[in-house]
Amino acid sequence: MSTTLDRPLERAPIDRAKPWRFLGRSADFWLCAVATIAVLLVQAWNIAGYPRVFDDEGTYLAQAYAIDHGLGMTPYTYWFDHPPLGWMQLSLLAWIPEAIWHSPGQLVVAYARIIMLPFTAASCILLYVLARRMTLPRWAATLAVLLFGLSPLSVTLQREIFLDNIAVTWILAAFVLAYSPRKFLWSHVGCGLCAGIAVLSKETMLLAVPALFVAVWQNVDKRTRKYSYVGFIGAFLLLIVQYPLYAILKGELWSTGGKVSLIAGLTYQLSRPGSGSVFAKGTNAHDVLHNWLFYDPVLIVAGSVALVIALAFRHLRPVAIAGVVLVLTAIRPSGYLPSMYIIQMLPFFALAIAGLADQLVAVILTYRARPIFWQQLARLAVLLVCIMLAFVYVVPRWYSGDKNADTQDLNTGYAEAVEWVHTHIPHPGDQRIVVDDTLFLDMLQDGFKPSRYDIYFFKLDVDPDVMNSLGGSEANKWKSIQYVIETPYMWENAPQSYTTEKILNNSTVVWYYGSYPPNSIAGQNSDVEIRKVIP
Amino acid sequence: MLAAAVLVISIVLFSIATATLWWMMHAWRTPEVFESTTFVRPDGGTGLSITLMLAIRQERQDVVENTVQKMLESDHDNFDIVIITGSDDPETTGIARRLAQIDPTRIHTVIDPHHRNKATALNSALAAGVCQGDILGVFDAEDVVHPALLSHVDHAFLTENADVVQGGVQLLNFYSSWYSLRNCMEYFFWYRSRLHLQAEKGFITLGGNTVFIKRELVEPTDPDAQWGWDDTCLAEDCELGVRLSSAGKKTVVAYSPEMVTREETPDTLKSFVRQRTRWMQGFLQVYRKGDWRQLPTRRQRLLARFTLSTPFYQAASGLAVPVGIAIGILAKVPMVVAMISWLPAVPMFLVLAFEIAALRDFGKEYYGKDQPDQSHKVNFGTYLTLIIGMPFFQIVLMFSALRAVWRELRGHQDWELTKHVGAHLATPAPTSATSSV
Repeated sequence: MSTTLDRPLERAPIDRAKPWRFLGRSADFWLCAVATIAVLLVQAWNIAGYPRVFDDEGTYLAQAYAIDHGLGMTPYTYWFDHPPLGWMQLSLLAWIPEAIWHSPGQLVVAYARIIMLPFTAASCILLYVLARRMTLPRWAATLAVLLFGLSPLSVTLQREIFLDNIAVTWILAAFVLAYSPRKFLWSHVGCGLCAGIAVLSKETMLLAVPALFVAVWQNVDKRTRKYSYVGFIGAFLLLIVQYPLYAILKGELWSTGGKVSLIAGLTYQLSRPGSGSVFAKGTNAHDVLHNWLFYDPVLIVAGSVALVIALAFRHLRPVAIAGVVLVLTAIRPSGYLPSMYIIQMLPFFALAIAGLADQLVAVILTYRARPIFWQQLARLAVLLVCIMLAFVYVVPRWYSGDKNADTQDLNTGYAEAVEWVHTHIPHPGDQRIVVDDTLFLDMLQDGFKPSRYDIYFFKLDVDPDVMNSLGGSEANKWKSIQYVIETPYMWENAPQSYTTEKILNNSTVVWYYGSYPPNSIAGQNSDVEIRKVIP
Repeated sequence: MLAAAVLVISIVLFSIATATLWWMMHAWRTPEVFESTTFVRPDGGTGLSITLMLAIRQERQDVVENTVQKMLESDHDNFDIVIITGSDDPETTGIARRLAQIDPTRIHTVIDPHHRNKATALNSALAAGVCQGDILGVFDAEDVVHPALLSHVDHAFLTENADVVQGGVQLLNFYSSWYSLRNCMEYFFWYRSRLHLQAEKGFITLGGNTVFIKRELVEPTDPDAQWGWDDTCLAEDCELGVRLSSAGKKTVVAYSPEMVTREETPDTLKSFVRQRTRWMQGFLQVYRKGDWRQLPTRRQRLLARFTLSTPFYQAASGLAVPVGIAIGILAKVPMVVAMISWLPAVPMFLVLAFEIAALRDFGKEYYGKDQPDQSHKVNFGTYLTLIIGMPFFQIVLMFSALRAVWRELRGHQDWELTKHVGAHLATPAPTSATSSV
């Protein structure tokens, strides 16, 4: 009856573990805290210097800026490229870099990366809790956090302002809630909500949602199962549906004649030119994979193998399914492979490896074990050798990778370019500058007005708002632009745009960073150049 | 201005709908909670005597007889039945007298000299001194009592140290009409889930029947203090629950599908509206009477306010949500406000989703493969009716709420009786028994 709640509950195995406390806190607290702080220290050190600022980082941050300053979803026309919940969260955290750095000479995007640290911290903690709820022992849960956060691949990618990192935090929260030890109905509803936030932060996270079904299935009781599923699915769908609803309210669900709309955005994403197979040399996908492998082959190879094996173990199966679906999607022969896609796999790699390590240790120590001293000693020796081998193989690689990440500064060129603009064009008035998105916010800070005067080069010839503000006939619109900051990214993509080509061809270099002589568009002759357009 | 109004209303409605959802789903929160909502099997711990009180008025003989027969089949060994009729209703009194002859030692009759409503009937039985059991159980004319119910209740009183035990009541004729289906689901959530949490939190509005109370709690002892049921209140059951909760008495709620008291919905929409108006007005009266202000903690008092005004904000939100969404779409308000105007729809749709899931359980527990009653099935059409009926039921509730407020303000406090036709009785009462009395 209602008042008999004090009858003993069946506890999850983790609750039965022997308590171990220090300074009033549990062993779990200390292990999780130490691992998380270690990850944060390695990731925070030199965060602005490495890796080189990436165009998408600037794009998302500029969109967060737009929300923060009431300019709408983006500084330009929002074209439903991604659901906006990711940069809405960034805008909520945008006060963090502002509170710590004020100096105008620093690269905005690079320093804003500290926004990602709270997400990384949350992901580490959630990963630990999830591992424990999956009945992994404490050491394996700690191992999972360290694998997840200390791989040079993680240190590089988790620092960057990518929507994927935000989505990872939320999908981990969803998994943690799916594994509610009390099989609490509202945890399963919360699981659906978190999954919804994850998908609205980065739509590709949809691939991990089927695995949540399995996770919930493993963690419900027959008596309340129906309601748990209704709550989980209902909450997920009701949240997701807000996105098309937003499009409807804006009258932009579908469109004709090249106008922006949700359907057009989805069609674009689904029909993006394929980047080929990861296994075929010379394809984009192959390059992307090798770029990942350059940072860390260990986590990728061991993680992929571990995911497949983990399918065989019931307690690892949900995360294994999530990871395997993500990996299979990445290696499908055609289709577009974004260069930050691997971020979503990292927690699943880490969990699968830690889970299998736990299994392996159990086999070495207990399989057909007898209480004979020499046998036990031999087992311990084997275990020790395994640990040593793994240590010797992994630690030097990761040390050198993480050392690069914590010492190299790849953003000097960008920072000096910003500094030059700041000292030479302090009050630009109505002058126009074309940049790639990494420098968009710096130019804003310098006094260029948003959107129409501080122009993201990808919007040239595409966004009617931008083009209409440039005077003259179509062929001569480029003459309204005064400056352009050329970066390797712009150089690569310039051929797609008539106006970009035009201004790069009709300009002189006024400042450059790099070791080659400037003045030639034919090669990637410098890291960064500032050019003055000569009409 | 419009935007601000939409914003405030949406957030308030969202909070209310979320709270309602939370309360509605209490029983399924965790498997342990679900287990705890059912009766515990009596293993020896019985021994109280029980008096079943049956107030009837203008009832058909076969309906009442079936009820009494079922009561007599109870496996409890120490109970009696008191049938109460009004002095102005000689026909029903005749029925009662004939029924008493089935088992004169167990069945007593009482005539309420100034019959106005159920409360005066129950009070006159108390005053007449015929109720001798340790426990008083209240039932209605058409209730089908499970033979094992009394022993389970007895056990609950002893083991849980309860002052009041509220058993489950379930409307069953979901097939009768669209509002019957919705009404059945309301009862399902109310008795299976919500009342348990109310009891746990120490503030409960009791139901009209299958209520068992320690006799000493309602008997006239101190001539100045209030005793029995409040005959000026239209919801005397709710009033008693609030009065006992406020005095710190412990209530235990138990719902086991096989042991619920089976009832029927009002037979026409008109009588449904009347019944609902009466309840809502009763809630309003209890709220105004203010016994709940004596509750010890602030939380409990807040809960009392929340519970007693439930019918009214439920009705209000039925109107406000569509209006809010319409304003969000049609009027020129900022995008954020338009999005927020949708917010209350999220818990509302979740409620609908949970209702659909519960309908499946309802169908299984009362009309499933291994149930004796196979006369009706919950099928696709039933689910469709449940979904489509949602807004219309809201309108009916809203109308009843407005009617209740109107009547209360105008001082109409008379009792609009609901007629029972026995639609939930799968088989009519055996004719041999009828002819024997």
